Amino acid sequence: MIHCNILDVKKEKINISKAQKFIASSKCGASLFFMGTVRNENNNKKVTGITYDSHDGMVKKSFQEIYEEAKKKFKFETIVVFIEHAKGYVALGETSVLIAVACKHRKEVYEVSRFIIEEIKKRTPIWKKEHYEGKETEWLKGSPVVKQ
Amino acid sequence: MKITVELYGASRDFSAKSFIEINLANNSKIKDLRKELMKFIDNHHVGNKNFRELVKAAAFCSDKNEIIHDDYVISKEQKIAIIPPIGGG
Repeated sequence: MIHCNILDVKKEKINISKAQKFIASSKCGASLFFMGTVRNENNNKKVTGITYDSHDGMVKKSFQEIYEEAKKKFKFETIVVFIEHAKGYVALGETSVLIAVACKHRKEVYEVSRFIIEEIKKRTPIWKKEHYEGKETEWLKGSPVVKQ
Repeated sequence: MKITVELYGASRDFSAKSFIEINLANNSKIKDLRKELMKFIDNHHVGNKNFRELVKAAAFCSDKNEIIHDDYVISKEQKIAIIPPIGGG
């Protein structure tokens, strides 16, 4: 079971209690919450915020594909996943991505959560424009998308 | 035929709009679109090496949310998204 979405931060913020409700299951003995937040420094520059851009259709498709691949790869009895990613301007310290995973055992949630965030980094069409002190901005260089 | 190229990530700096329109001959391929985008950069952003590199490295996405390769034939007027190298999360 999966819930995934891209949230326009002008309308809605990422909310961990929504994830808690979604992944709650008496079949699962382990839950893990991974949150990516905007940090204050990158490449020796002081970061004040990040604007996230996304191709929403491809992002949702990519989240679904990653979930299906996780199920095939790990073959765990139960994998419940909640993924939400922010779109728009996210200030320092705020959450840009939340991945919540519930499985039967703790080893499983660590493996699935790690797999999901690493795959998002590799193939999900999301871009970051960093904002620095002094109002300078820069789109970060990423990795070319590889057709799956 | 007219192709609307939707801009994402760093390619948003190509134009003040969120898209650019490119005229292509019927049954052109993605590699032809890439060449036309290079011409657009040379005309509108003279000498901008970063933009040229971006067009070279970018993937393209159909209106069905599929990544399409350089030999994909564009058979009708449609929206195609440029997908610059990614780095979210």
